[in-house]
Amino acid sequence: MMISQFDEAYRNRHKLAEGWEKEGKKLFGYFCNYIPEELIYAAGFITLRIRGSSENIELADAHLPSICCSYMRSALEEALKGRYNYLDGAVFPKSCDMTRALYGIWKRDIKLPYYYFLPVPGKSTDAAVDFFIEELQLFKESLEKYTNKKISEASLKQAIKLYNENRALVRELYNLGLRDTPPLSGSEAFAVLRAGLVMPKEEHNAMLRKLLPGLSSAKGSPDGKVRLMVAGNTFETIELLQAVEDSGGNVVVDDIDIGSRYYFSAVDENAEPLRALAERYLRKVPCPCKHPAEPRLYHMLKLAKEYRVRGVILLTQKYCDTHLYDRPWLESSLKNNGIPVLVVDHSDTGWAGGKFKTMVQAFIEMVG
Amino acid sequence: METKQGKPTATPFKVVRLAASAALGTLNEIYYKELANAKQQGKPVIWITSMTPIELVYAFDGIPFFPENYAALCSSRKVAEDLCKAGEARGYSQDLCAYALCTFGIMFEKRGAFGEPPPDPDILIATEGACATHPKWWEAIQRHYECPMIIIDAPYTVDSETLAPRQKAYYVAELKEAVKSLEQATKKPFSMEKLREVVSFSDQASELWDDIDAMRAAIPTPISQIDVFTCLFPLVTLKGTKEAVDFYKQLRDEVKARVDNKVGFVPNERFRLIWDLFPVYHNMRLLNYFAEFGAAFVTDLYGNAFSGRLDSSDPFGSLANRYLSFFMRSASRGKAELYKKRAKQYHVDGIVFHSNRCCRNFTAEQPDIGAILREELGLPSMSFEGNMVDPRGYDDAQVKSKIETFIEMLEARKYPKK
Repeated sequence: MMISQFDEAYRNRHKLAEGWEKEGKKLFGYFCNYIPEELIYAAGFITLRIRGSSENIELADAHLPSICCSYMRSALEEALKGRYNYLDGAVFPKSCDMTRALYGIWKRDIKLPYYYFLPVPGKSTDAAVDFFIEELQLFKESLEKYTNKKISEASLKQAIKLYNENRALVRELYNLGLRDTPPLSGSEAFAVLRAGLVMPKEEHNAMLRKLLPGLSSAKGSPDGKVRLMVAGNTFETIELLQAVEDSGGNVVVDDIDIGSRYYFSAVDENAEPLRALAERYLRKVPCPCKHPAEPRLYHMLKLAKEYRVRGVILLTQKYCDTHLYDRPWLESSLKNNGIPVLVVDHSDTGWAGGKFKTMVQAFIEMVG
Repeated sequence: METKQGKPTATPFKVVRLAASAALGTLNEIYYKELANAKQQGKPVIWITSMTPIELVYAFDGIPFFPENYAALCSSRKVAEDLCKAGEARGYSQDLCAYALCTFGIMFEKRGAFGEPPPDPDILIATEGACATHPKWWEAIQRHYECPMIIIDAPYTVDSETLAPRQKAYYVAELKEAVKSLEQATKKPFSMEKLREVVSFSDQASELWDDIDAMRAAIPTPISQIDVFTCLFPLVTLKGTKEAVDFYKQLRDEVKARVDNKVGFVPNERFRLIWDLFPVYHNMRLLNYFAEFGAAFVTDLYGNAFSGRLDSSDPFGSLANRYLSFFMRSASRGKAELYKKRAKQYHVDGIVFHSNRCCRNFTAEQPDIGAILREELGLPSMSFEGNMVDPRGYDDAQVKSKIETFIEMLEARKYPKK
């Protein structure tokens, strides 16, 4: 199993999905880190994270002002170009204001047979968990009505097991980054984990099972690269990780929403399924749209220590409010803990690679 | 109104001020005096976000402080730009909400609209009732002042007209938790009787506001958009007090007299428009520029955001209904339907979108709302870029030229040459 196969699976995601659609599989798109995919899988769908791209915005300009983040603009662009026509439905959570707004915009402008808005609470208290269980029950009933098929407890438990397996396998990938000489570079690891967002978990698991044994015995080269963490928003531009590597650094761990904030934290397989899901999704490492924010800082500090990073690249998507509010606090908190920070404004559409590389080189020189 | 070329020209006119403006000035003065003296009088200063149930603050005899409202004041007093820059100097992006940036400036620089800063918060209350970003900047404020903070979680209904019982129950539980936290922080017991009284005053103020709002449908429309924005202060900050009710009674009577006598604020009303959404606080006179062409704003949804009927026999339940059913939380379709209804009721010729460059939450849906109104009602629109608080980047000449083009188009539609 080659890394390039993961990378191709991601890059060809629309073509592959169209193939699954032709095979009669049902495909379901979702936004963000707060949708319990297990429930959708148990209803008979393949769950696919809706992603954007780095392409120029043409069609979305008429629907979404330029002050909105490049992720939401480019995801809408993809949909307006008909690239998500294979979806049988889409679900939006209450997370940031953009996700809320885009629900209405997609619903009007992108014709899909099923839409759902999941009111995920903003807190993780016991009352919030109880409320979320009720919301999940309603989402479950809505899916059942749409598919005309009951979701059994057994199928839900099986879904939880499958997604947990995926989390555990990806965690092995993360464990490789703990070594002094990781057998994978940061960009390679990223290619592996992001492929998991856009393919059936069974397939991702099978690919990981082929990939991991070879890696666990691989030595990795003692290349002396400076160990770094990337933290912040989702991004499409894998080239930025390669730019870090070209500059003598290596991203060995992350705190981003399609990385550790997505893959860490398993669902309790012994608890009642909806409760287990509610607890996992509300009590995982929080994204900045949830409160309180401190557990995410602790997660970053813990990772920084475990992975022995020499610095953090704090990457914020331009116009992403919730991340931008936390940024000065995260920057100073990390620095107060002796961790150097490079603050980067990022946009997938119109990525300034040269400027980024210059900044990263200077940073690596400083912390190296 | 027309030149030989058919281009409409601006005709300046004398704006007749409301008599109620004087009362408003007095209310403002009293409020800021009370705010300044709050600590001496042992009253807690409670900084709240919009859509925080202010009724809880008054029920605990606190003095509410609205950083958003205060940032607007800073903007009209031309000190907001410097304060925003001070926020940016601490690492906050210029793309963030200018209300927040201005507040960060106040917080770090310790100065305010009149020089002196507002009093530090004793308690902070935030909710996602309006914006998911509110608790984010409140968290930043909390880290600075290190005072107790309450976050009231407000589940989103988005495309439901009715509030689901589970959402109401969760919110009511959040309110009761907030009451407990307020009891601890203020060291005062909660009084249901006091809350009922506050809720009743709040309801009365909202009812009066709704009456005034409905009277704007009269032809000619009785009050200007500037008056509407200015007269919002009691509804935002004093809602739940008797003073607010008295003020809106006076205002309602004055507006009613204008309607009865067919007095419009524009001498010759030719066009009737909807304003969406935020005021341009650093340039409120822009609204008068429309009026100089005989174009009057007859409705907006901004003001209504702060009005909501309550029931003193069920304070918590009615607070839940009011704050969770806030229309700004609905999907673009719901907002467009509200405007569609108003376009008919208020005899509207067009809609003006203020594309507020620092506010994604309420700007993202504007293109779709405009498209729905165009497609389903044939309602024309114009959009201009600005920032509610921060004057940087605002191009007055360009905006005015856009307005002229829009008026020209409206003229050709409504008054075609025979």
